[in-house]
Amino acid sequence: MQMQPMAGGMPTASAASVAHEITHGPSFALLRVDLQPGQTLVTEAGSMVARSSHLTMDVKMGTKKTLGFFDMLIGIVIAFVRKVMGGESFFVNHFHGSAPGSVWIAPQMAGEVTHRRINPGETLILSSGAYLASVGDIDVKMKFGGLKSILAREGAFMLQVTGNGDLWFNSYGGTTAVDINGPFMIDNGHLVGYEGQLQFNLKSAGGGMLGFMAGGEGLVCEFNGTGRVYIQSRNVNSLVGWLSPLLPQ
Amino acid sequence: MQIDIGYRPAHSMARVALNPGEQILAESGALVGMSTNVSMTTGMQNKPGGGLLGGLMAGLKRALAGESWFRNTFTANGGPGEVLLAHAMCGDMQVVEVPGTGLHLTSSSFIASTPNVNIETRLQGFGGFFSGEGAFVMQASAQGPNQLVFGSFGGITCLNCDGNLVIDTGHLVAWDSTLTYKVGKSGGGWIASFLSGEGLVCHFQGQGRIWIQSRNPIAYGQYVGGMLPPRKG
Repeated sequence: MQMQPMAGGMPTASAASVAHEITHGPSFALLRVDLQPGQTLVTEAGSMVARSSHLTMDVKMGTKKTLGFFDMLIGIVIAFVRKVMGGESFFVNHFHGSAPGSVWIAPQMAGEVTHRRINPGETLILSSGAYLASVGDIDVKMKFGGLKSILAREGAFMLQVTGNGDLWFNSYGGTTAVDINGPFMIDNGHLVGYEGQLQFNLKSAGGGMLGFMAGGEGLVCEFNGTGRVYIQSRNVNSLVGWLSPLLPQ
Repeated sequence: MQIDIGYRPAHSMARVALNPGEQILAESGALVGMSTNVSMTTGMQNKPGGGLLGGLMAGLKRALAGESWFRNTFTANGGPGEVLLAHAMCGDMQVVEVPGTGLHLTSSSFIASTPNVNIETRLQGFGGFFSGEGAFVMQASAQGPNQLVFGSFGGITCLNCDGNLVIDTGHLVAWDSTLTYKVGKSGGGWIASFLSGEGLVCHFQGQGRIWIQSRNPIAYGQYVGGMLPPRKG
């Protein structure tokens, strides 16, 4: 098992990846994507920081360029359920232009932005809220995670990312990739995503009922199989727990 | 004086090394520590020679802008002194020299400056008000060598505007006064602006530098606030 911290500070422009740069990581990561004519950057709604004036921004309901009628219908239903059960806004922005331009993107929470090149045949599962932006032929589908996902405090939906292109995802805190081969436990609230031949189950961290209620450690996700898990170094539930008693009544 | 910023970009702190007799003006509440020979005086001063009424008006405008009524002046007596300053929010800090053409700052980004920097609070118009950023911006001007420290929520990036640039209003920290700007919607149409989540953006024109922050405090507050238990009463 190896732990690899993600290096986000280097500008990259290879033939395979879109030219981009991630600065101010791992606490306040800012992503800049340099687009050529013909390239479209899809981003989570509300994440734009700045852009070249001549780029056009379209609001769409999904990452695909065109959506069929049933896709839209299903999309609206899922959007409504997501709104109720928590998760990302369903709308995305498409940035493109007839001349080269740049777009600066940032997530809402303090933390890191990680680049991942998605190749055909690969599948990356992300927690809802982790998707930030993508370029190329990337398909982001919502998967109903079931009760397991809700109890793991990941929300009802996970995102399934496939296709051919570049993907950027965000986390609360720094992102660490852990390559696993066998059982591995992750505290709920620290999971960003995973890929490979992995399944996970919920388990008690130990300590029985007292551990669950008083220890704050309650449930953990036990992963099994071969693959890679992305974890974040901070937990939003812990932040909320820390802030709540400090607020004025 | 020498100003060094440490612990960037998330938990920045400024260390100001003052020569004997030198002064630095800082935002109220920014003090972390100082050497024992540094004395602090508190005032509402905005311009030298403004008088009590001038000071009161300046303080009132600052209060409406989200800054505090008072500014503190730190003086190193009888020897060199050191003052440590930090912003209330976790984030980045940068030291710049205010050019002769002036510098605009969003309200609450000012942290400290040499005493010869003059800060005016200006009403920015209702565009800024509706975006939740507050209706005010500060304009800094100075004659001669000076230093100004501003802070942000998130990491600070300096962009060079050469023509046109569009910036989300929640991500602005400061910009050269040589730029003209207009607050407006991002996409075409009000529905698109609402659905896109972008709200209001600032269209900049001209030549100059724009400092942006990599996080939007209002969006961050809404995100975290939405998860907090409702307040009683």
